[in-house]
Amino acid sequence: MKNLMKILFLIIVAIFVAGCLESKKTPQVSEPINLVKMSGQEMIQRLGTGEIAGFIMWEPYPAIAVTKGYGKNLIFSGKIWTDHPCCVVAYDDDWYKKTNNSDEILKRMALVQLKSVEYINNAKQSDSPDHEQLINYTMQFGGMTDQVAANLSLADVEFVYNTNVTATTTFIQRIQDFGIFDMTKWNMSGYKNSSDYANSLVTNNYVEWAVNNKDENSSKIALKEPVNIRYAYLVNDIHELPFYVGWQKGYYRDLGINIVIAEGAPFQNGAFEMQQGFKGNTVDVGSLGIPPVIIHRINSNDFSNNDTKVGVIAGMNNEGSVIVVANNVTSMKDLQGKTVGFPGQGTIQHVLFLMEADKEGLKVSY
Amino acid sequence: MKFETGKRGLLINILSLIVFTLVWQILVILARNDIFNIPFIRLRDIPTPVETWYALVGSMFTRIYGPSFTYGIINHVYASLVRVIEGGIIAFIIGVPVGIGVGYSKFLGNLFNPIIEIIRNMPPMAWIPLSIFIFVSGGSIFIVFIGVVFPIILNTIQGVRSTDTRLIDAAKTLGASESMIVKKVVIPSALPSIMTGLRIGLGVGWMAIVAAEMVIKSPVGLGYFIWNMGDLGRYSEMVAGMIVIGVIGYIMNISILLLQRRFINWVD
Amino acid sequence: MGRLVLSSVSKKFNNFQALLDVNFEVEDGEFVCLLGPSGCGKTTVLRLVAGLVAPDDGIISLDGKKINGVNKECGFVFQEYALFPWRTVKENIEFGPQVKGMTKTECESISKHYIDLVGLSGFENHYPNELSGGMKQRVGIARAYANNPKLLLMDEPFGALDAQTRNLMQGELLRIWETEHISVLFVTHSVDEAVYLGDRVVVMSARPGKVKDIFDVKLTRPRIRTGPEANIIRDSVLKSLSTQIKLASHEYI
Repeated sequence: MKNLMKILFLIIVAIFVAGCLESKKTPQVSEPINLVKMSGQEMIQRLGTGEIAGFIMWEPYPAIAVTKGYGKNLIFSGKIWTDHPCCVVAYDDDWYKKTNNSDEILKRMALVQLKSVEYINNAKQSDSPDHEQLINYTMQFGGMTDQVAANLSLADVEFVYNTNVTATTTFIQRIQDFGIFDMTKWNMSGYKNSSDYANSLVTNNYVEWAVNNKDENSSKIALKEPVNIRYAYLVNDIHELPFYVGWQKGYYRDLGINIVIAEGAPFQNGAFEMQQGFKGNTVDVGSLGIPPVIIHRINSNDFSNNDTKVGVIAGMNNEGSVIVVANNVTSMKDLQGKTVGFPGQGTIQHVLFLMEADKEGLKVSY
Repeated sequence: MKFETGKRGLLINILSLIVFTLVWQILVILARNDIFNIPFIRLRDIPTPVETWYALVGSMFTRIYGPSFTYGIINHVYASLVRVIEGGIIAFIIGVPVGIGVGYSKFLGNLFNPIIEIIRNMPPMAWIPLSIFIFVSGGSIFIVFIGVVFPIILNTIQGVRSTDTRLIDAAKTLGASESMIVKKVVIPSALPSIMTGLRIGLGVGWMAIVAAEMVIKSPVGLGYFIWNMGDLGRYSEMVAGMIVIGVIGYIMNISILLLQRRFINWVD
Repeated sequence: MGRLVLSSVSKKFNNFQALLDVNFEVEDGEFVCLLGPSGCGKTTVLRLVAGLVAPDDGIISLDGKKINGVNKECGFVFQEYALFPWRTVKENIEFGPQVKGMTKTECESISKHYIDLVGLSGFENHYPNELSGGMKQRVGIARAYANNPKLLLMDEPFGALDAQTRNLMQGELLRIWETEHISVLFVTHSVDEAVYLGDRVVVMSARPGKVKDIFDVKLTRPRIRTGPEANIIRDSVLKSLSTQIKLASHEYI
């Protein structure tokens, strides 16, 4: 028994030595940027106190931080990747299969998306009669109290309803490059490559139908029997404003869809929505970032029953994330060796930040 | 802790680990094939021991994918251990003198007892939200400190108070002054208790650090690792991380026991 | 050197009168045994002399100096040895010299001397938990002697030993005492022990503790335990004691 203890003691010493060597190894290449997971509130606070040199986050947090004077916008995500998809509307495949008229429902969900996006894009103009109402919606949904920040954050987001298979393919490819997929699971999925997966994930039919029927009278194309849809969304995420508008303005109700907020919603992040909501079958349709959809349909899926299988039917927005930095930082290179907040691994902001670092030849550690 | 000594004991230990692993593997396989499942638990999503092993080996060291350095489990273990040791050292430096003072002096005892009794009943986890806001850095070390310091204080007090009064009398008759008595009688006599406090405290601290790292964010740490792996749906890495946490905790406990037996060999 | 005087010493614990008007002396170099039923305050006498407790009344003086506070000129040997378990034999014996601030070499020469004297050579680096009861008490005696006391106070030092070891240790104690001649106040509840060891035997009565009789044991050493003179003294001591025991046990029943 004494020998066993000696062995255990040696193991702990070995871990220490190995840990020392490992942590020394990292900076030898070039000082990496440290990504640290935190909530949006924390990012603002810590940028203010100087604990972090910057953060990458969705609106409205960048707008709030800038309005408060804690930092400045360094790079808009549209600069990293023009028109990159961000949040999307997705449905649960289990719900789809066991609901008779699921196709009809999804067509109308896509139509609401179209209507809401068009409303927002109109109302975004400051001379629009709906502008004030939109600002109110933004402040309510984003949990904001500052009109200036609400205006700023709206300006940074490009709301869209269509889906984009090519962009999705690129996303899948980058996620694979960055080593985020569980390769065992990826091999089980049977997709030949990223475009194969993107085609299976994204469906354009519903948006096409919506475009064709967008001028029809709602009462004419409404569902005969109203249905309850358990809907999930992310907390305070301005990207999903089209959902809030459609809900508040009664677009869903007009088409015979009764929105029930799903158990657990609004979720803290897309990973939760995928793992608890869609996988746990408590969500029928929901909005979330496309990377969690891409990642968890592989990593969290049980391929014997495809419990995490979801399909993407419409977009919510493109772009809309910002790298915000302290006022003395002028480029990504200045962030080397410093700490940058991000909302977590597998989020769109994580992937975008890695893409930007890759472009500039910088290293990121997390 | 009492070990069954000899080969037989070791054999039973190893056997129990093998049986546990087998039961785990079988339960998951049965659930995945819809043969048997425990209600309300998605057993099928638990990685099998084999998958966990591969995940452990695969994520042991830093991996590089394009621009990203993904820290290996080794880095996470190291970071967490350093925090526990730092918090532990601070707790030891503060806890032992406080324990001796409170245990030895009736006045200090009455003065500090209410404070200690109230604060020690706040679990380390309850301090996490506050420490996010009040600490510029080192919040997780503070959580460890809270976890470690109270077992040390309480065990030191207990050790000091249970000092054999005859030993104090003996020291007095041999000419020892009050401070000599504390230094040469009370402290050595409380040493086994202090060590026990340290051992229990580091156990609590180790659990607290893992919880703290889930909330107080830093780039590395085992708690951070398993939480991130959960975010990514990589359950086998997550479970591998959990097992590493358990094993390290066990090794820490045994190491201190070993030190205790090696250096305090005068206890009956 | 080493003349102890107790005059009209009284001590109360709460409402319990432990000692009342105790008077006796220990002459320089004399071996006095204090004998009495349990609860008669024998140990309290020792603690008073050692200065671990203060008397309510009366005066205790050693060589004409009133004892006030812990008496550092006494060596105390405890019944349960009271050795420091984290110190080796050598370190236990060096405790007194160390706290007096002696140098390392001085300490070492003292401990070597007393280890040899009590017959513990070869066990210097053993911890108390590795020693038998008899050996532990040798350490206790050596530790008390190492402080160079004028008076040795022994509180039933052999009470926890088996009969054989006890006899052996009594002989050893006398041998040591004859080598390093200082006064001894020896508490015991064994008449045999008292008569075998003491120059005088002080018999105490219980509740409250008082000195009842004092017997001179004028026998030459080495004494024969079962010798006729010893038997006569033993008888008278026993007689004096038995009334006390009856009295004491009466109250307990």
